[in-house]
Amino acid sequence: MTETADLGGRAPRSRNRAIAAKHLAIFLALIVSWEIACRFGWLDPLFFPYPSAILVGFWRLYVSQGNIWPHLGLTMAEVLAGFAAGSALGIGLAICVGMVDRLRRYLKPYVIVLEATPRIAIGPVIIAAFGFGWTSKTAIVMLVCFFAPFVNTLNGMVGVEAEKLSMFRSMGANKVQTFTKLLLPSALPEISAGLRLAMASALGGALVAEFIASNAGLGVLITQYTGTLNMTSAFVCVLTLSALGYFIFRGMEALDRIVVFWSDRDRIDAAGRRRKAAWRARMGDRA
Amino acid sequence: MSHGRESSGTAVITANAVRKTFGGGSVVAVEDADFTVRKGEFISLVGPSGCGKSTLLRMVAGLLERSSGVLQVHDRDVHGPSRSVAMMFQKPTLLDWRTSIENVLLPTEIAGRVGDDDRRKAMELLDLTGLRDFAFSFPSQLSGGMQQRVALARLLQTGADILLLDEPFGALDEFTREHLNVELMRIVAEVDATTLFVTHNIGEAIYLADRVFVMTPRPGRIAGIVEVPFERPRAPSLQQGAEFNSLVSDVRKIFEGAK
Ligand SMILES: Nc1ncnc2c1ncn2[C@@H]1O[C@H](COP(=O)(O)OP(=O)(O)O)[C@@H](O)[C@H]1O
Ligand SMILES: [Mg+2]
Repeated sequence: MTETADLGGRAPRSRNRAIAAKHLAIFLALIVSWEIACRFGWLDPLFFPYPSAILVGFWRLYVSQGNIWPHLGLTMAEVLAGFAAGSALGIGLAICVGMVDRLRRYLKPYVIVLEATPRIAIGPVIIAAFGFGWTSKTAIVMLVCFFAPFVNTLNGMVGVEAEKLSMFRSMGANKVQTFTKLLLPSALPEISAGLRLAMASALGGALVAEFIASNAGLGVLITQYTGTLNMTSAFVCVLTLSALGYFIFRGMEALDRIVVFWSDRDRIDAAGRRRKAAWRARMGDRA
Repeated sequence: MSHGRESSGTAVITANAVRKTFGGGSVVAVEDADFTVRKGEFISLVGPSGCGKSTLLRMVAGLLERSSGVLQVHDRDVHGPSRSVAMMFQKPTLLDWRTSIENVLLPTEIAGRVGDDDRRKAMELLDLTGLRDFAFSFPSQLSGGMQQRVALARLLQTGADILLLDEPFGALDEFTREHLNVELMRIVAEVDATTLFVTHNIGEAIYLADRVFVMTPRPGRIAGIVEVPFERPRAPSLQQGAEFNSLVSDVRKIFEGAK
């Protein structure tokens, strides 16, 4: 089993490199054709600045003026705090509801109505309540991040097969044991998927909130730059957000592979070997 | 291996006019079940699907409250699950994030602390079910038959002396099923358990059992009991004999008589 895993691990690495090279080539071609399109006047550089100009803009915003940093930091703080609070609330509430059958039945209509409501419609209300500072933005991100983890956690817990619950009951398991040993681990794949969805909308939520009303953050910076037709700097902000979104997405993927390790073949092999070693260390060599 | 057969053994399960209805009495799932299961016996419960086999088993397991009648395990009325009864299902119901050995140890974990003796016992049970080499594999790395072997080891780890098996190998292919049936006979004889085995396969029911309870549907009731006189251990070739075939037709007659 280990041999095949090792063989399987080596072959894709060179293939990965080839794929990366292709991606790079396509990316460069895209940039070059954009630059050319600008130079020939097919794209209006007033709204779509030269890639070379954007590159210079990056230098200006990040290094020579360095004025993007506080805004970037604020937006990130809003996103992270809102995500953490919103998803914790969503998961926590779902667990409470999931453990009490009756509560689930009564709560369902409210969840459906709230889910159908466009979250951002509540934005102005929250801003009215919390003001223009970072609290209102964090609250909006929280709201945006609440539902996917809530619904997924609930679905994951409700979706556990009846036979598994019967098995736990016949073993005399109490509520806490049933939760920690069956319901929660069973729901982890869905919870993780919910967190990914929440994270994906967190950045957008923070930005829209900053567009609505704010005095700082990347959203404000973009509005200011486009308002003064400084498109180069606006693009720097947008591309910064793209990169941010990409890394967040990748981070969530990595987290999913660790938390839900049993859905990944290589990780299962490694986990099995680790547990065997631990057993041998404890019980002697007769494993 | 004086397993079963002698009718003098003490009764471990007693059912008297046990009845179960669903939907406020509109569906009668089990009607007037009367039977006794003696210590060490292997009972097969055979009948078409929907005749109430699982319902009856779940009542014995304490997972389902009966509507009326007397049902006792070890001379105590059944109200809820008990330590001396364990149940196995058609699906392996293994936990995907646990290795085989960790799955086997689950009942011990739920009952209290896991000690090194429990660990050794769990490993021995995996040995007994032929899965020691896969003790540190996860369910997704095992075939359906191997998963049921883990579930069987977990069933035995509970320490229960009454084993309820609800079509445990029903989802497996015929070759695997036959093989596991032979193994099951060997294992329950070794651990000296009393077994209630549900199946809808008449041949399988006879081959495994000391007595076959024949259940007929609408309403679900035990229409007859067939004694199986064969000595143990039993070779698979037994199933081709004339005596075996006459038992099969005995069971069939009960089904036809109920129509
Ligand atoms: N929870 C339930 N609610 C309503 N009807 C049920 C329930 N469980 C079983 N039944 C009905 O009881 C009858 C017997 O079911 P079951 O015991 O599962 O049969 P078997 O295991 O022999 O296939 C069936 O008609 C089934 O529809
Ligand atoms: Mg059934």
